[in-house]
Amino acid sequence: MSSRPFLLLLSCLFVLTIAMSLYVWQLRSHADAVAPTLAAPQAVAPPGAGPAKRVTLCVAYDNPGVLRSNSVSLPLSSERQRRAAELLRALLNTYSAKDSPHPLPNTAEVRNVYFVDPGLVVIDVNAALADGQTSGVLAEELTVTSLVQTLTANLEGIQRVKILVDGKERSTLTGHADVSGAYDVSQVSALAKQLSSQ
Amino acid sequence: MRWNKSAARRRRFLLALGVICLAGVLGFGQSPATQNPAPAPTSPTPASGERPALIVIDPAHGGSDPGALLTPDSAEKEITLAVARRLRQELSARGIASQLVRDGDATFSLDQRAAVANSAYPALYLAIHASSLGSGLRVFTAMLPVAGKSRGPFLNWDTAQAPFMERSKTAQAQIVAAVQKTGFPVRALIAPLRPLNNLKVPAIAIEISPANGETSQVAATGYQQMICAALANAIASMVPSLSSRTEIQP
Repeated sequence: MSSRPFLLLLSCLFVLTIAMSLYVWQLRSHADAVAPTLAAPQAVAPPGAGPAKRVTLCVAYDNPGVLRSNSVSLPLSSERQRRAAELLRALLNTYSAKDSPHPLPNTAEVRNVYFVDPGLVVIDVNAALADGQTSGVLAEELTVTSLVQTLTANLEGIQRVKILVDGKERSTLTGHADVSGAYDVSQVSALAKQLSSQ
Repeated sequence: MRWNKSAARRRRFLLALGVICLAGVLGFGQSPATQNPAPAPTSPTPASGERPALIVIDPAHGGSDPGALLTPDSAEKEITLAVARRLRQELSARGIASQLVRDGDATFSLDQRAAVANSAYPALYLAIHASSLGSGLRVFTAMLPVAGKSRGPFLNWDTAQAPFMERSKTAQAQIVAAVQKTGFPVRALIAPLRPLNNLKVPAIAIEISPANGETSQVAATGYQQMICAALANAIASMVPSLSSRTEIQP
């Protein structure tokens, strides 16, 4: 192989590399431009239109760091997925209220709840909930347990619960509680039992 | 002559390319943990005979991860490091060897923390956290996630702690009982807290919070000293039951 074709080949590869880099850079710029639109706050679902039912909300109390079951009456839709989202939104209303026992910003919301067979529920919360809550092991496990227990106390057949933030996986909720995997409901129940006693 | 020149140029080019590739591979292969090696244990290992029980203390967060902002001028990472250093001193005064996962403001991922602790084969791994919430001390063991099972000698990374849960719970109970004797508020809980579930040694985490409701108390020297002394006493009373080297249980 003489040097001329070799240099030609090398030049072609170099040009191709530059071209591909520019293309990838352009794709990335395009994705960045689209991302804020996707992350924009979405319309909150209207309140449940069904008849009022007695439900149990597992409410976290930062002081003294316990979980308590509160029975309340809520209008809930008959559809399971919407009912789950309504339950969690009612719970978050408790946390964003003025004298909240476990303060969360009033922009904190549950974006959606998905039922994935067999027995897996995915809770998609927004970043305001994750980033706006008190950082700490106990504080974060109170939030997680409260969400999971509220669902399992009112809906049957849930075995595992996965938490997403803005539709994406995160390693921790706010630096402590591991949300990278799915929670086993029986383990969360064991934790809830411990958190219920001081 | 011309052919010789171009061949020599090609050889030089290929040699340079090889050197660049090798440098790249070596550079990527070197993990941040190896760039910031964990400090050696405070008490040296004896040349012969049984190894003393080693306690690995992990001050949570650090470097680019400040943890919770507890007071306007103190982040969780600073408090955990201060507590870890005090605890090391208290343990050393009781003749117990200890090693800090980080002894400065270094960034360690959770996997790197687990790797450092697992490779040290400690008798106990103790992670330190601090919080403004609640009152007193919380002692946590792992809440294992839903994950695959271990295959033969290979432990599943997410549930590596499973065979050691009993020993972790025993250590938790002993520490809680010892701290309770001092009258200090203490709770035993499980927590979905990494890297507890990735450890193949008895592992617990503690979270320190103020006893009087004032968040600034967790940064106070006297308060940290009192907690570390109570913890060191609890660990010292456990030492006889802690094995010198932790092996994988079948």
